[in-house]
Amino acid sequence: MASIEVNGVVIELDEDGFMVNPDLWNEAVAKALAPTEEVTGELTEDHWKVINYLRNYYLQFGIAPMIRKLTKETGFSLKEIYDLFPTGPAKGACKLAGLPKPTGCV
Amino acid sequence: MSAIKTIIHLETDLHPIPVTTTEPEKRVERTKQLFERMKNQCRAVVMAMENCTKCGRCAKECHVYLGTGDPDNIPAARADLMRAVYKKYFTAGGKLLGSFVGARELDDELLEKWVNYFYQCNECRRCAVFCPLGIDTAEVTIMARQILVYLGLVPKFHMSIAKQVDKTGNNMGIPKGACIDSCEFIEDEIREETGVDVKIPVDQKAEILYVPSSADFFTNFDTMVGAAKFFHAIGANWTISSEILEAGNFGLFFDHDFTMKSHNNRLVRIAKKLGVKKVVQGECGHGWRAARMYTPSLSGPVPFEITHIIEEAAAAIQRGQLKLDPSKNDDKIVTLHDPCNAVRSSNLMEEPRIVLRACVNNFVEMYPNREKNFCCGSGGGILMEEMIEWRKKVTQVKRDQVRATGANYLCAPCSICKAQFPVAFEGYEKEVPGFKIGGLMDLVGYALVLE
Ligand code: SF4
Ligand code: SF4
Ligand code: SF4
Repeated sequence: MASIEVNGVVIELDEDGFMVNPDLWNEAVAKALAPTEEVTGELTEDHWKVINYLRNYYLQFGIAPMIRKLTKETGFSLKEIYDLFPTGPAKGACKLAGLPKPTGCV
Repeated sequence: MSAIKTIIHLETDLHPIPVTTTEPEKRVERTKQLFERMKNQCRAVVMAMENCTKCGRCAKECHVYLGTGDPDNIPAARADLMRAVYKKYFTAGGKLLGSFVGARELDDELLEKWVNYFYQCNECRRCAVFCPLGIDTAEVTIMARQILVYLGLVPKFHMSIAKQVDKTGNNMGIPKGACIDSCEFIEDEIREETGVDVKIPVDQKAEILYVPSSADFFTNFDTMVGAAKFFHAIGANWTISSEILEAGNFGLFFDHDFTMKSHNNRLVRIAKKLGVKKVVQGECGHGWRAARMYTPSLSGPVPFEITHIIEEAAAAIQRGQLKLDPSKNDDKIVTLHDPCNAVRSSNLMEEPRIVLRACVNNFVEMYPNREKNFCCGSGGGILMEEMIEWRKKVTQVKRDQVRATGANYLCAPCSICKAQFPVAFEGYEKEVPGFKIGGLMDLVGYALVLE
């Protein structure tokens, strides 16, 4: 199984590069995972808005929010989310926010 | 197990499937028992094993062979992977002459091929429509995957779904709190759009239990909106259940014995608990097959009807019960992708067309269609990340079908199809601006005039 080391902590990743233990997430982990999802350059305020929304929803409900809810609550259109996270909300954004990979018919 | 090299990730922990993993050195012996059982119980597979004339008719009907060009993906060659073992055990020639007549044990080398090629079959049954002998290679694939379960070889992706369903009752793992939060959000959105209070009851005693796909609570928002508006419009006494928020039943694809059966049992248990007279399945091709074709047969007689939301919508339209304004969909040229499991395995053929004609003014058929339609390229649950390049390849024929219609809305009333098409049609908006992939209830929802 793959892993990365962030600030001296070993973070285990599943075969798709998602965190195996979402509790170990912190902002430095998000930054370290960014290049694996085609997010280049610094994470901007807009990136953090999406990441933090996903993160907080996940901590409260144990799952990613509906994509429509994500766009509504962050004020970003789906296209804008794709501009921020080229691999999309279910993959890039969820991975950077430390959520498990959404599974099922997605 | 590491001796087996496959194109997909396998899972070693099969919980909740109650099989004890077979030690590699005991596999051949175990296989023999499994084949004996198959021979006694599965007529369709035995018929396929005994009868292929190698006429070659099926080759050009399988989109997987067309897309990959790999001769092992010809349906007859795929079935031959099982036939080799069948011959070894059950034919005089095979017993006597062995490899001279292509008969062999399921050794590691063949086992590797089994995993690789039975997980490159979409179980779409298109080959069966054209085979002069009626050989259904999808049945062979399903049986092969079931045998692989007993040998302890299951894709990680399928196992992760079986585990989620066991824990939460849906593929995505949506807990009750998130389900309620999502329903409230949908209600707010409908109110904002229409000014009408449409309720989505959760875990209530009702006449109808609606079983959506859990993907409707993630990506396919408009499908759930359409369903909620529809039930409101017909004045239904309905509910969804947070314990079975899943029309899909991946067990159909790889494990009838445990995964499919336990999902069906869950459906029966919850429908009884809620006292419903009818279970209405949402937009999911294979889930519809599992619910309709295998629920009473595997779980015993049930005290309720099992129908599909598209049948319900078509019936309501024919009764004149829906007020629809098809001009709401005038920005779309719609074509219909018939999901294989709906159209080839459980007879959902004319109903989607009745619904479409009532909801849209511009509907164009793709060719071939109905029972001759080509699969989306992800059937049989081949939605894994590691298969993405393969999924693009096997779907070329689908792109050609859709391109020829000029449609800008690809209607695919099946969650797997909806998940596959964004991969298959990557970059297609450049050809067709505004190209959209969506469901059928989505279109009903756009056209419905609520009061
Ligand atoms: S069409 Fe039928 S009989 Fe002919 S090769 Fe294919 S499976 Fe065999
Ligand atoms: S069931 Fe579909 S994918 Fe499988 S061999 Fe037949 S045509 Fe090909
Ligand atoms: S996913 Fe859709 S098109 Fe593909 S096999 Fe299933 S029902 Fe058929």
